[in-house]
Amino acid sequence: MIGVGRSKQNLNVVDRPLGKGKTEVSLSAFAFLFSELVQYNQTRVDNIAELERRLEDAGYAVGIRMLELLCHREKGNRRETRLLNILSFVHSTVWKSLFGKVADSLEKGTEHEDEYMISEKELLVNRYISVPKDMGAFNCGAFVAGVVKGVLDGAGFPARVTAHFVAVEGQPRPRTTILIKFSEEVLQREARLG
Amino acid sequence: MAPPTRAGDYPFAPVDRVNAELFTLTYGAIVRQLLTDFEEVEEVNKQLDTMGYNIGVRLIDDFLAKSNITRCSEFKDTAEVIAKVGFKMFLGVSATVSNWSADGSECSLILDDNPLADFVELPDTCQGLFYCNILCGVIRGALEMVSMRTEVKFVKDMLRGDDAFEIRLKLLEQVAEEYPYKDDE
Amino acid sequence: MAAIASTPRMRCLYIFNRDGVCLHYHVWLRPLTTLSPHQDQKLMFGLLFSLKSFTAKMDPVGGNKGNLGAPNLPGQGCSFHSFRTNTYKLSFMESPSGIKLILITDPRMGDLRDALKYIYSNIYVEYVVKNPLYTPGQPFKCELFNATLDQYVKTLQ
Repeated sequence: MIGVGRSKQNLNVVDRPLGKGKTEVSLSAFAFLFSELVQYNQTRVDNIAELERRLEDAGYAVGIRMLELLCHREKGNRRETRLLNILSFVHSTVWKSLFGKVADSLEKGTEHEDEYMISEKELLVNRYISVPKDMGAFNCGAFVAGVVKGVLDGAGFPARVTAHFVAVEGQPRPRTTILIKFSEEVLQREARLG
Repeated sequence: MAPPTRAGDYPFAPVDRVNAELFTLTYGAIVRQLLTDFEEVEEVNKQLDTMGYNIGVRLIDDFLAKSNITRCSEFKDTAEVIAKVGFKMFLGVSATVSNWSADGSECSLILDDNPLADFVELPDTCQGLFYCNILCGVIRGALEMVSMRTEVKFVKDMLRGDDAFEIRLKLLEQVAEEYPYKDDE
Repeated sequence: MAAIASTPRMRCLYIFNRDGVCLHYHVWLRPLTTLSPHQDQKLMFGLLFSLKSFTAKMDPVGGNKGNLGAPNLPGQGCSFHSFRTNTYKLSFMESPSGIKLILITDPRMGDLRDALKYIYSNIYVEYVVKNPLYTPGQPFKCELFNATLDQYVKTLQ
Protein backbone atom coordinates (compact mmCIF):
# COMPACT_ATOMS: atom_id res chain seq x y z
CA MET A 1 0.00 0.00 0.00
CA ILE A 2 1.29 3.42 -0.82
CA GLY A 3 1.19 5.77 2.14
CA VAL A 4 -0.61 8.63 0.42
CA GLY A 5 -1.37 11.46 2.80
CA ARG A 6 0.51 9.92 5.63
CA SER A 7 3.04 12.12 7.31
CA LYS A 8 6.71 11.24 7.52
CA GLN A 9 6.44 10.13 11.13
CA ASN A 10 3.53 7.85 10.43
CA LEU A 11 5.41 5.80 7.90
CA ASN A 12 7.07 2.71 9.21
CA VAL A 13 10.57 3.64 10.26
CA VAL A 14 12.24 1.55 7.57
CA ASP A 15 10.05 3.00 4.83
CA ARG A 16 10.95 6.57 5.65
CA PRO A 17 13.68 8.18 3.62
CA LEU A 18 16.90 8.37 5.57
CA GLY A 19 17.78 11.99 6.30
CA LYS A 20 20.95 13.52 4.97
CA GLY A 21 22.28 14.01 8.48
CA LYS A 22 22.23 17.76 8.08
CA THR A 23 19.63 18.66 10.69
CA GLU A 24 20.95 20.13 13.89
CA VAL A 25 20.00 20.72 17.49
CA SER A 26 21.61 23.17 19.86
CA LEU A 27 24.90 22.22 21.42
CA SER A 28 23.30 23.00 24.79
CA ALA A 29 20.59 20.39 24.21
CA PHE A 30 23.29 17.80 23.66
CA ALA A 31 25.40 19.09 26.57
CA PHE A 32 22.46 18.79 29.00
CA LEU A 33 21.46 15.37 27.71
CA PHE A 34 25.04 14.18 28.01
CA SER A 35 25.34 15.66 31.52
CA GLU A 36 22.28 13.72 32.58
CA LEU A 37 23.72 10.54 31.07
CA VAL A 38 26.77 11.07 33.31
CA GLN A 39 24.68 12.02 36.36
CA TYR A 40 22.38 9.04 35.96
CA ASN A 41 25.23 6.61 35.55
CA GLN A 42 26.97 8.01 38.62
CA THR A 43 24.02 6.72 40.62
CA ARG A 44 24.49 3.21 39.19
CA VAL A 45 28.17 2.62 39.92
CA ASP A 46 30.60 2.30 42.82
CA ASN A 47 33.75 3.53 41.17
CA ILE A 48 35.20 5.59 38.34
CA ALA A 49 36.22 2.60 36.22
CA GLU A 50 32.64 1.34 36.23
CA LEU A 51 31.32 4.79 35.36
CA GLU A 52 33.68 4.99 32.40
CA ARG A 53 32.64 1.53 31.29
CA ARG A 54 28.96 2.47 31.33
CA LEU A 55 29.65 5.65 29.37
CA GLU A 56 31.64 3.57 26.92
CA ASP A 57 28.67 1.20 26.53
CA ALA A 58 26.37 4.11 25.74
CA GLY A 59 28.89 5.44 23.22
CA TYR A 60 29.23 1.99 21.67
CA ALA A 61 25.50 1.93 20.89
CA VAL A 62 25.89 5.29 19.14
CA GLY A 63 29.01 4.22 17.23
CA ILE A 64 27.60 1.04 15.80
CA ARG A 65 24.54 2.90 14.47
CA MET A 66 26.60 5.80 13.19
CA LEU A 67 28.64 3.34 11.13
CA GLU A 68 25.50 2.00 9.49
CA LEU A 69 24.20 5.47 8.74
CA LEU A 70 27.48 6.73 7.32
CA CYS A 71 28.23 3.63 5.24
CA HIS A 72 24.82 3.91 3.71
CA ARG A 73 24.99 7.65 3.14
CA GLU A 74 28.61 8.34 2.28
CA LYS A 75 29.94 5.11 0.90
CA GLY A 76 27.12 3.53 -1.09
CA ASN A 77 26.83 0.74 1.49
CA ARG A 78 30.50 -0.18 1.23
CA ARG A 79 32.80 -0.09 4.19
CA GLU A 80 36.53 0.02 4.67
CA THR A 81 38.45 -3.23 4.96
CA ARG A 82 41.98 -1.92 5.53
CA LEU A 83 43.29 -0.68 8.83
CA LEU A 84 44.59 2.71 7.78
CA ASN A 85 41.46 3.39 5.77
CA ILE A 86 39.12 2.63 8.66
CA LEU A 87 41.22 4.81 10.96
CA SER A 88 41.06 7.67 8.54
CA PHE A 89 37.31 7.07 8.19
CA VAL A 90 36.95 7.49 11.97
CA HIS A 91 39.28 10.47 12.15
CA SER A 92 37.61 12.35 9.31
CA THR A 93 34.16 11.10 8.25
CA VAL A 94 32.86 9.99 11.64
CA TRP A 95 34.37 12.97 13.47
CA LYS A 96 33.06 15.42 10.93
CA SER A 97 29.52 14.17 11.10
CA LEU A 98 29.46 13.88 14.91
CA PHE A 99 31.49 16.91 15.90
CA GLY A 100 31.43 19.11 12.78
CA LYS A 101 35.20 18.88 12.21
CA VAL A 102 37.88 16.31 11.52
CA ALA A 103 39.87 15.28 14.58
CA ASP A 104 42.95 17.34 15.40
CA SER A 105 45.33 14.46 14.82
CA LEU A 106 45.71 10.76 14.09
CA GLU A 107 49.03 9.18 15.06
CA LYS A 108 50.55 5.76 15.31
CA GLY A 109 51.78 4.76 18.76
CA THR A 110 55.54 4.90 19.01
CA GLU A 111 55.94 2.04 21.45
CA HIS A 112 53.44 -0.52 20.23
CA GLU A 113 52.70 -1.62 16.67
CA ASP A 114 49.02 -2.17 17.42
CA GLU A 115 48.26 1.26 18.91
CA TYR A 116 46.88 4.38 17.32
CA MET A 117 45.83 7.69 18.84
CA ILE A 118 43.20 10.20 17.83
CA SER A 119 43.60 13.49 19.70
CA GLU A 120 41.35 16.45 20.16
CA LYS A 121 42.31 19.71 21.82
CA GLU A 122 38.81 20.27 23.12
CA LEU A 123 36.63 17.21 22.85
CA LEU A 124 32.95 18.16 22.74
CA VAL A 125 32.05 16.16 25.85
CA ASN A 126 34.88 17.75 27.83
CA ARG A 127 34.21 21.34 26.83
CA TYR A 128 32.39 22.40 30.00
CA ILE A 129 33.80 19.95 32.49
CA SER A 130 35.82 20.52 35.64
CA VAL A 131 36.80 17.17 37.12
CA PRO A 132 37.02 17.36 40.92
CA LYS A 133 40.19 16.01 42.49
CA ASP A 134 38.43 13.08 44.12
CA MET A 135 37.46 11.75 40.69
CA GLY A 136 41.10 11.35 39.70
CA ALA A 137 41.69 10.70 36.03
CA PHE A 138 38.01 10.32 35.17
CA ASN A 139 37.44 11.26 31.53
CA CYS A 140 34.01 11.73 29.93
CA GLY A 141 35.79 10.96 26.69
CA ALA A 142 35.05 7.32 27.60
CA PHE A 143 31.77 7.96 25.78
CA VAL A 144 33.62 8.97 22.61
CA ALA A 145 35.99 6.03 23.06
CA GLY A 146 32.85 3.88 23.06
CA VAL A 147 31.65 5.51 19.85
CA VAL A 148 35.00 4.74 18.20
CA LYS A 149 34.90 1.18 19.51
CA GLY A 150 31.37 0.76 18.14
CA VAL A 151 32.39 1.97 14.69
CA LEU A 152 35.52 -0.22 14.61
CA ASP A 153 33.76 -3.30 15.93
CA GLY A 154 30.89 -2.87 13.50
CA ALA A 155 33.37 -2.65 10.65
CA GLY A 156 35.20 -5.81 11.72
CA PHE A 157 38.14 -4.19 13.50
CA PRO A 158 37.73 -5.17 17.16
CA ALA A 159 39.86 -3.02 19.45
CA ARG A 160 40.25 -1.82 23.01
CA VAL A 161 39.57 1.92 23.05
CA THR A 162 40.22 4.27 25.98
CA ALA A 163 40.22 8.02 26.61
CA HIS A 164 43.01 9.91 28.39
CA PHE A 165 43.84 13.47 29.34
CA VAL A 166 47.25 14.54 28.08
CA ALA A 167 48.83 17.76 29.32
CA VAL A 168 49.89 20.13 26.56
CA GLU A 169 52.81 22.45 27.09
CA GLY A 170 51.78 26.09 27.28
CA GLN A 171 48.05 25.23 27.45
CA PRO A 172 45.96 25.55 30.60
CA ARG A 173 43.76 22.62 29.60
CA PRO A 174 44.81 19.10 28.68
CA ARG A 175 43.79 17.59 25.37
CA THR A 176 41.96 14.28 25.14
CA THR A 177 43.59 11.34 23.40
CA ILE A 178 41.54 8.36 22.28
CA LEU A 179 43.87 5.37 22.40
CA ILE A 180 43.01 2.50 20.06
CA LYS A 181 44.64 -0.90 20.61
CA PHE A 182 43.62 -3.34 17.89
CA SER A 183 43.04 -7.03 18.56
CA GLU A 184 45.68 -9.42 17.41
CA GLU A 185 43.43 -10.93 14.73
CA VAL A 186 43.10 -7.52 13.09
CA LEU A 187 46.86 -7.13 12.76
CA GLN A 188 47.27 -10.68 11.49
CA ARG A 189 44.64 -10.14 8.82
CA GLU A 190 46.21 -6.85 7.88
CA ALA A 191 49.59 -8.59 7.49
CA ARG A 192 48.02 -11.24 5.25
CA LEU A 193 46.46 -8.60 3.03
CA GLY A 194 49.96 -7.20 2.59
CA MET B 1 13.45 44.93 29.00
CA ALA B 2 10.40 46.12 27.09
CA PRO B 3 8.06 43.20 26.56
CA PRO B 4 7.86 42.12 22.91
CA THR B 5 4.51 42.54 21.24
CA ARG B 6 3.82 38.82 21.11
CA ALA B 7 5.26 35.97 23.08
CA GLY B 8 7.42 34.08 20.66
CA ASP B 9 8.88 37.25 19.24
CA TYR B 10 11.69 37.13 21.73
CA PRO B 11 14.85 37.18 19.73
CA PHE B 12 17.60 34.93 20.94
CA ALA B 13 21.29 34.99 20.24
CA PRO B 14 22.53 32.52 17.65
CA VAL B 15 23.41 29.28 19.41
CA ASP B 16 26.12 26.71 18.70
CA ARG B 17 24.70 23.63 17.07
CA VAL B 18 25.55 19.95 16.70
CA ASN B 19 24.43 17.19 14.37
CA ALA B 20 20.96 16.06 15.42
CA GLU B 21 21.96 12.43 14.87
CA LEU B 22 24.52 12.57 17.67
CA PHE B 23 21.74 13.86 19.91
CA THR B 24 19.13 11.37 18.73
CA LEU B 25 21.42 8.36 18.98
CA THR B 26 22.71 9.42 22.41
CA TYR B 27 19.14 9.69 23.61
CA GLY B 28 18.49 6.24 22.18
CA ALA B 29 21.47 4.91 24.12
CA ILE B 30 20.05 6.40 27.33
CA VAL B 31 16.64 4.82 26.80
CA ARG B 32 18.34 1.51 26.07
CA GLN B 33 20.33 1.72 29.32
CA LEU B 34 17.15 2.43 31.27
CA LEU B 35 15.33 -0.49 29.68
CA THR B 36 18.21 -2.73 30.75
CA ASP B 37 18.46 -1.25 34.24
CA PHE B 38 14.75 -1.18 35.08
CA GLU B 39 13.08 -3.77 32.87
CA GLU B 40 9.58 -2.49 33.69
CA VAL B 41 8.40 -0.03 31.05
CA GLU B 42 6.44 1.96 33.66
CA GLU B 43 9.62 2.46 35.68
CA VAL B 44 11.45 3.61 32.57
CA ASN B 45 8.75 6.20 31.88
CA LYS B 46 9.18 7.48 35.42
CA GLN B 47 12.95 7.53 35.19
CA LEU B 48 12.85 9.42 31.88
CA ASP B 49 10.61 12.01 33.50
CA THR B 50 13.02 12.34 36.44
CA MET B 51 16.02 12.70 34.16
CA GLY B 52 14.15 15.32 32.20
CA TYR B 53 13.37 17.18 35.41
CA ASN B 54 17.06 17.20 36.32
CA ILE B 55 17.85 18.58 32.89
CA GLY B 56 15.09 21.19 33.15
CA VAL B 57 16.40 22.70 36.39
CA ARG B 58 19.73 23.33 34.63
CA LEU B 59 18.50 24.16 31.18
CA ILE B 60 16.34 27.03 32.44
CA ASP B 61 19.42 29.15 33.17
CA ASP B 62 20.87 28.55 29.73
CA PHE B 63 17.50 29.45 28.25
CA LEU B 64 17.19 32.64 30.29
CA ALA B 65 20.77 33.64 29.52
CA LYS B 66 20.26 33.25 25.77
CA SER B 67 16.72 34.50 25.43
CA ASN B 68 17.14 37.69 27.46
CA ILE B 69 13.80 37.04 29.09
CA THR B 70 13.82 38.86 32.42
CA ARG B 71 10.57 37.68 33.90
CA CYS B 72 8.08 34.89 33.36
CA SER B 73 5.07 35.37 35.57
CA GLU B 74 2.12 34.78 33.23
CA PHE B 75 1.42 31.13 32.52
CA LYS B 76 -0.19 31.92 29.18
CA ASP B 77 2.85 33.79 27.86
CA THR B 78 5.17 31.20 29.31
CA ALA B 79 3.47 28.40 27.37
CA GLU B 80 3.91 30.39 24.16
CA VAL B 81 7.56 31.04 24.98
CA ILE B 82 8.21 27.31 25.54
CA ALA B 83 6.54 26.44 22.24
CA LYS B 84 7.99 29.17 20.07
CA VAL B 85 11.36 29.93 21.66
CA GLY B 86 12.28 26.96 23.85
CA PHE B 87 11.69 24.17 21.35
CA LYS B 88 13.22 26.25 18.59
CA MET B 89 16.33 27.14 20.56
CA PHE B 90 17.14 23.67 21.81
CA LEU B 91 15.69 21.23 19.31
CA GLY B 92 15.38 23.39 16.22
CA VAL B 93 11.66 22.61 15.91
CA SER B 94 8.66 24.63 16.99
CA ALA B 95 5.46 23.69 18.70
CA THR B 96 1.93 25.04 18.71
CA VAL B 97 -0.04 25.91 21.83
CA SER B 98 -3.69 24.89 21.70
CA ASN B 99 -6.64 23.42 23.58
CA TRP B 100 -6.62 25.94 26.43
CA SER B 101 -8.90 25.01 29.28
CA ALA B 102 -11.57 27.58 30.17
CA ASP B 103 -9.77 28.73 33.31
CA GLY B 104 -6.45 29.16 31.50
CA SER B 105 -4.58 26.69 33.68
CA GLU B 106 -4.15 23.92 31.10
CA CYS B 107 -3.03 23.74 27.51
CA SER B 108 -1.44 21.45 24.95
CA LEU B 109 1.86 21.75 23.16
CA ILE B 110 1.73 20.10 19.76
CA LEU B 111 5.08 19.31 18.19
CA ASP B 112 5.56 19.74 14.47
CA ASP B 113 8.58 17.51 14.49
CA ASN B 114 10.47 15.61 17.15
CA PRO B 115 14.16 14.86 16.71
CA LEU B 116 14.18 12.51 19.71
CA ALA B 117 11.98 10.05 17.86
CA ASP B 118 13.95 9.82 14.59
CA PHE B 119 14.93 6.23 13.70
CA VAL B 120 12.62 4.89 16.41
CA GLU B 121 10.08 2.12 16.22
CA LEU B 122 8.81 0.60 19.44
CA PRO B 123 9.21 -3.16 19.61
CA ASP B 124 6.29 -5.19 20.96
CA THR B 125 7.94 -5.48 24.36
CA CYS B 126 7.94 -1.69 24.81
CA GLN B 127 4.39 -0.80 23.86
CA GLY B 128 3.72 1.05 27.11
CA LEU B 129 6.82 3.19 26.73
CA PHE B 130 6.52 6.95 26.37
CA TYR B 131 9.77 7.13 24.47
CA CYS B 132 10.04 10.92 24.58
CA ASN B 133 8.89 11.26 28.19
CA ILE B 134 12.09 13.11 29.03
CA LEU B 135 10.57 16.21 27.38
CA CYS B 136 7.79 16.32 29.98
CA GLY B 137 10.36 16.27 32.76
CA VAL B 138 12.41 19.01 31.15
CA ILE B 139 9.41 21.33 30.94
CA ARG B 140 8.32 20.55 34.49
CA GLY B 141 11.82 21.13 35.89
CA ALA B 142 12.39 24.36 34.00
CA LEU B 143 9.00 25.77 35.02
CA GLU B 144 9.54 24.88 38.65
CA MET B 145 12.64 27.08 38.65
CA VAL B 146 10.52 30.03 37.56
CA SER B 147 8.06 29.34 40.36
CA MET B 148 5.44 27.37 38.42
CA ARG B 149 4.55 23.96 39.73
CA THR B 150 3.09 21.95 36.88
CA GLU B 151 1.96 18.55 35.76
CA VAL B 152 3.21 17.58 32.31
CA LYS B 153 2.41 14.46 30.33
CA PHE B 154 2.10 13.05 26.84
CA VAL B 155 -1.49 12.62 25.69
CA LYS B 156 -0.64 11.74 22.09
CA ASP B 157 2.44 9.96 20.84
CA MET B 158 3.12 9.17 17.19
CA LEU B 159 5.31 6.26 18.19
CA ARG B 160 2.16 4.73 19.68
CA GLY B 161 0.15 5.35 16.57
CA ASP B 162 -1.39 8.76 17.33
CA ASP B 163 -1.52 11.47 14.68
CA ALA B 164 0.70 13.90 16.61
CA PHE B 165 2.99 14.42 19.57
CA GLU B 166 0.86 16.28 22.11
CA ILE B 167 2.07 17.28 25.56
CA ARG B 168 -0.50 18.36 28.13
CA LEU B 169 0.65 21.13 30.44
CA LYS B 170 -1.24 21.92 33.64
CA LEU B 171 -0.39 24.72 36.07
CA LEU B 172 -0.90 23.57 39.66
CA GLU B 173 0.30 26.66 41.50
CA GLN B 174 2.67 29.56 41.36
CA VAL B 175 5.02 29.48 44.29
CA ALA B 176 6.13 32.77 45.79
CA GLU B 177 9.65 33.18 47.01
CA GLU B 178 9.91 32.98 50.76
CA TYR B 179 12.69 33.63 53.19
CA PRO B 180 14.46 30.26 53.17
CA TYR B 181 16.11 30.14 56.60
CA LYS B 182 14.52 29.32 59.90
CA ASP B 183 15.42 31.77 62.67
CA ASP B 184 17.13 29.23 64.87
CA GLU B 185 19.49 28.17 62.10
CA MET C 1 42.83 34.62 44.89
CA ALA C 2 46.17 34.77 43.18
CA ALA C 3 44.83 37.64 41.15
CA ILE C 4 44.77 40.16 44.01
CA ALA C 5 47.55 42.33 42.64
CA SER C 6 45.99 42.78 39.22
CA THR C 7 42.38 43.18 40.38
CA PRO C 8 42.52 45.66 43.22
CA ARG C 9 38.98 46.86 42.65
CA MET C 10 37.29 43.49 43.07
CA ARG C 11 36.44 42.33 46.57
CA CYS C 12 34.23 39.27 46.37
CA LEU C 13 31.38 37.51 44.58
CA TYR C 14 28.49 35.52 46.02
CA ILE C 15 26.15 33.30 44.04
CA PHE C 16 22.93 32.12 45.70
CA ASN C 17 20.18 29.93 44.32
CA ARG C 18 16.47 30.43 44.91
CA ASP C 19 16.57 28.35 48.08
CA GLY C 20 19.18 30.57 49.71
CA VAL C 21 22.02 28.09 49.20
CA CYS C 22 25.31 29.88 48.67
CA LEU C 23 26.51 28.04 45.57
CA HIS C 24 29.76 29.89 45.42
CA TYR C 25 31.77 32.46 47.33
CA HIS C 26 34.77 33.92 45.55
CA VAL C 27 37.25 36.23 47.29
CA TRP C 28 39.74 38.50 45.58
CA LEU C 29 40.44 40.93 48.40
CA ARG C 30 38.89 40.91 51.81
CA PRO C 31 41.26 41.77 54.62
CA LEU C 32 38.47 41.90 57.20
CA THR C 33 36.21 38.96 58.01
CA THR C 34 34.43 38.89 61.34
CA LEU C 35 31.83 36.20 60.77
CA SER C 36 31.99 32.52 59.96
CA PRO C 37 31.44 31.86 56.23
CA HIS C 38 28.00 30.42 56.98
CA GLN C 39 26.89 33.43 59.04
CA ASP C 40 28.39 35.80 56.53
CA GLN C 41 26.51 34.23 53.63
CA LYS C 42 23.25 34.02 55.51
CA LEU C 43 23.50 37.69 56.42
CA MET C 44 24.24 38.66 52.85
CA PHE C 45 21.24 36.71 51.57
CA GLY C 46 19.04 38.22 54.27
CA LEU C 47 20.21 41.74 53.45
CA LEU C 48 19.25 41.30 49.81
CA PHE C 49 15.98 39.63 50.61
CA SER C 50 14.96 42.54 52.85
CA LEU C 51 16.28 45.19 50.49
CA LYS C 52 14.28 43.74 47.63
CA SER C 53 11.19 43.74 49.76
CA PHE C 54 11.75 47.31 51.01
CA THR C 55 12.58 48.75 47.61
CA ALA C 56 9.46 47.19 46.11
CA LYS C 57 7.34 48.47 49.00
CA MET C 58 8.59 52.03 48.55
CA ASP C 59 8.04 52.02 44.78
CA PRO C 60 6.15 55.29 44.09
CA VAL C 61 4.84 54.23 40.68
CA GLY C 62 4.66 50.42 40.54
CA GLY C 63 1.33 48.66 40.96
CA ASN C 64 2.22 45.77 43.22
CA LYS C 65 1.71 46.79 46.84
CA GLY C 66 1.65 43.71 48.98
CA ASN C 67 2.36 43.88 52.67
CA LEU C 68 5.96 44.44 53.59
CA GLY C 69 7.67 41.08 53.72
CA ALA C 70 4.86 39.36 51.83
CA PRO C 71 6.28 36.75 49.48
CA ASN C 72 6.89 37.90 45.93
CA LEU C 73 7.24 35.92 42.74
CA PRO C 74 10.74 36.38 41.38
CA GLY C 75 10.75 39.17 38.83
CA GLN C 76 7.66 40.74 40.34
CA GLY C 77 7.73 44.40 41.32
CA CYS C 78 10.74 46.64 40.92
CA SER C 79 14.24 45.51 41.74
CA PHE C 80 17.36 47.32 42.82
CA HIS C 81 20.72 46.71 41.19
CA SER C 82 23.33 48.38 43.37
CA PHE C 83 24.14 50.44 46.44
CA ARG C 84 27.28 52.20 47.47
CA THR C 85 28.83 52.98 50.83
CA ASN C 86 31.95 55.02 51.44
CA THR C 87 34.04 51.84 51.49
CA TYR C 88 32.45 49.46 48.98
CA LYS C 89 29.87 49.05 46.26
CA LEU C 90 27.45 46.12 46.05
CA SER C 91 26.04 45.19 42.64
CA PHE C 92 23.20 42.72 42.37
CA MET C 93 21.52 40.69 39.67
CA GLU C 94 18.73 38.14 39.89
CA SER C 95 17.59 35.82 37.12
CA PRO C 96 13.93 34.80 36.82
CA SER C 97 15.07 31.38 38.01
CA GLY C 98 16.12 32.96 41.30
CA ILE C 99 19.90 32.79 40.80
CA LYS C 100 21.37 35.80 42.61
CA LEU C 101 24.78 37.23 41.83
CA ILE C 102 26.33 39.75 44.22
CA LEU C 103 29.55 41.48 43.32
CA ILE C 104 31.34 43.55 45.96
CA THR C 105 33.84 46.05 44.62
CA ASP C 106 35.70 49.24 45.33
CA PRO C 107 33.13 52.08 45.65
CA ARG C 108 34.53 53.84 42.60
CA MET C 109 33.41 51.11 40.19
CA GLY C 110 30.84 52.14 37.60
CA ASP C 111 27.71 50.30 36.46
CA LEU C 112 28.30 46.55 36.66
CA ARG C 113 24.95 45.30 35.37
CA ASP C 114 26.45 44.12 32.09
CA ALA C 115 29.33 42.49 33.93
CA LEU C 116 26.94 40.54 36.16
CA LYS C 117 24.91 39.47 33.16
CA TYR C 118 28.11 38.33 31.48
CA ILE C 119 29.20 36.34 34.52
CA TYR C 120 25.78 34.68 34.70
CA SER C 121 25.39 33.92 30.99
CA ASN C 122 28.90 33.23 29.85
CA ILE C 123 30.67 31.88 32.91
CA TYR C 124 28.15 30.45 35.39
CA VAL C 125 25.87 28.86 32.78
CA GLU C 126 28.74 27.59 30.62
CA TYR C 127 31.12 26.21 33.23
CA VAL C 128 28.86 25.32 36.14
CA VAL C 129 25.38 24.60 34.80
CA LYS C 130 26.73 22.66 31.80
CA ASN C 131 29.44 20.84 33.74
CA PRO C 132 28.35 17.18 33.59
CA LEU C 133 29.77 16.60 37.07
CA TYR C 134 27.93 19.46 38.76
CA THR C 135 24.93 18.56 40.91
CA PRO C 136 22.32 21.35 40.81
CA GLY C 137 21.54 23.00 44.14
CA GLN C 138 24.94 22.13 45.62
CA PRO C 139 27.84 24.52 46.27
CA PHE C 140 30.36 24.09 43.49
CA LYS C 141 34.10 24.17 42.98
CA CYS C 142 34.76 24.36 39.26
CA GLU C 143 38.26 24.99 38.02
CA LEU C 144 37.08 26.32 34.68
CA PHE C 145 34.61 28.68 36.33
CA ASN C 146 37.29 30.10 38.63
CA ALA C 147 39.87 30.51 35.89
CA THR C 148 37.44 32.17 33.49
CA LEU C 149 36.03 34.45 36.19
CA ASP C 150 39.48 35.60 37.33
CA GLN C 151 40.38 36.29 33.72
CA TYR C 152 37.19 38.21 33.11
CA VAL C 153 37.26 40.49 36.16
CA LYS C 154 40.72 41.68 35.12
CA THR C 155 38.99 43.41 32.22
CA LEU C 156 36.72 45.31 34.62
CA GLN C 157 39.20 47.90 35.86
